[in-house]
Amino acid sequence: MKRPLIVILAIFGLSFTVCAAEQASTPKRIISLSPATTEILFSLGLGGRIVGVTSFCDRPAEAKKKSKIGGMSNPSLEAIVRLKPDIVVMTTDGNPREVDDRLRAMSLKTYVWTSRTLAELPQGIRKLAGAMGVQEQGEELAKEIEEGIEKYRSEKSGAGSRKKVVYIVWPEPLLVAGPGTAIHDAVVLLGLDNVASRASSSYPRYSIEELIRSSPDVVIVGKGTGMDIRTVSQGVLKKLATVPAVRNGKVCYVSDHLYRLAPRVIQGIEELAACVR
Amino acid sequence: MRPVRIILFSSVVLGILLLALFAGPRMFNPFNLTTMDRDILYAIRMPRVVVAMLMGMALGASGAILQGVLRNPLADPYILGISSGASLCAALGLLSGFYFFGSMSVPLTAFVGAALVSVLVGAFGWKRGGLWPERLLLAGIGLNFLFSAVLMLLMSVSSDEGLRRAVLWMFGDLSMADWSLIPSAAVFIVVGMGLVLSRSKALNAMILGDEFAHSLGFAVQRERLVLFAAMALMTSASVSLGGTIGFIGLLMPHIVRFLLGADSRLLVPASAVAGGAFLCFADLVGRSILPPMELPSGTVTAVFGAPYFLYLLRRKDVLSI
Repeated sequence: MKRPLIVILAIFGLSFTVCAAEQASTPKRIISLSPATTEILFSLGLGGRIVGVTSFCDRPAEAKKKSKIGGMSNPSLEAIVRLKPDIVVMTTDGNPREVDDRLRAMSLKTYVWTSRTLAELPQGIRKLAGAMGVQEQGEELAKEIEEGIEKYRSEKSGAGSRKKVVYIVWPEPLLVAGPGTAIHDAVVLLGLDNVASRASSSYPRYSIEELIRSSPDVVIVGKGTGMDIRTVSQGVLKKLATVPAVRNGKVCYVSDHLYRLAPRVIQGIEELAACVR
Repeated sequence: MRPVRIILFSSVVLGILLLALFAGPRMFNPFNLTTMDRDILYAIRMPRVVVAMLMGMALGASGAILQGVLRNPLADPYILGISSGASLCAALGLLSGFYFFGSMSVPLTAFVGAALVSVLVGAFGWKRGGLWPERLLLAGIGLNFLFSAVLMLLMSVSSDEGLRRAVLWMFGDLSMADWSLIPSAAVFIVVGMGLVLSRSKALNAMILGDEFAHSLGFAVQRERLVLFAAMALMTSASVSLGGTIGFIGLLMPHIVRFLLGADSRLLVPASAVAGGAFLCFADLVGRSILPPMELPSGTVTAVFGAPYFLYLLRRKDVLSI
């Protein structure tokens, strides 16, 4: 008795979603809930359609002029709804699941970005571009990034020849880039050995003792916000005075290009390659 | 009975100190040190152990003083808002771009914040020419709420990652312990400790009541002020060494009272030593269980301290001061 009803409902539901998908294939009003997706959307030439971003979205410069909907982990649902978005672009890396659930419950469309590694970035861009109705731009951008990645791929495979690298994200307390970050992927891509690859989280609080023991050949210090990273990192570099990198002056200060999985990573890889050369 | 306990207590403390120096994610053989071991021992483990010892001593002694002065078994140096004031001041300093003293800036602003809050609490607790325990406690709780709220507010409106990480430091981090900070902080702690030890008889009397202390010839208000100042000095110095580490100030006096008795002449120094050893132990655990990652010592002290505290609570009829 109940089965036909379910079938009818299912067909109805299916046709409805297909309809909705077609209708929304070129969303006009986009909200981005993460700095990385904001950068990607701008790179896809969708800057004009973005109506809202998080308060962390500071790149490109135009992003700062967009309406703010709050932070990444605590966006204001009210602010999002008020901007009447056609689609809300979210990420599994920083946005809580509940926000997605709540937005869907209010029948707002969401797109969830899931790529987390450098290798997944081009494909992620293609999919996102597809959902935004700008396939060609997506293909172009993805190709560009793929070419960039290929250019820097290192053939080195012998473990002995690999340089050991540590990427310091913050000196006090010591946070380094571990596995599952674009930084780690870039380091591996360049045929280097990330000394923190054993860590079990992406930005582990690292033991200085262990860092000294792993005697990195190059120390890379990422850009911090708010204060001069060179001053802040003096303390930790003093403690690392005996490791080869510091002894031989192979300490390199880089920009923040690799902090977000966005098109800028290629520039970040370039910087990293220049450091270890 | 008591001498035996004191000897036992001291040997446990000594054992922990040695463990903290030579054990860890990797063991050192003290009789056969490689050059790297020696470097690590001198540049990293020794300052860490010294800082943990100093901080723990300051907090343990402060807790013992405060529980006596306020005649309240719940008192600990942070209940007066000293820690949240220190964190807030450090955060404000970072926000305004204060980095004049390089890596010393955060500890310095934290110290200034802690000292300012102590004065403020003292001012609110002052009435009719003296400090009053209830007023101090209530003023401290009020200020504590205020400062934590403002700090939360700053954290939630600021998108500055640096600020977040600096506040992370405030939650008890010994990994950056360095020789450079130790001398100045040690001076404050030693001066504070000296003040308390010279006043421990008065503290004993005050625990039994102001009138009783007065009848024994102690100038109650003056003694209270001196003890409060000693506590503030020590707590501020400890915050500047490694942020705010909870539970030691609350816990150590209770444990020591249980083991060695409630005489302030022994309670204060023993709480200090026990606090130092406990923090060394917590730091050892924090850096050893998940290498190469580290857990902040502040969380370890609470995870180990709280259950023991609850156990004591069950064992004893009353948690007296």
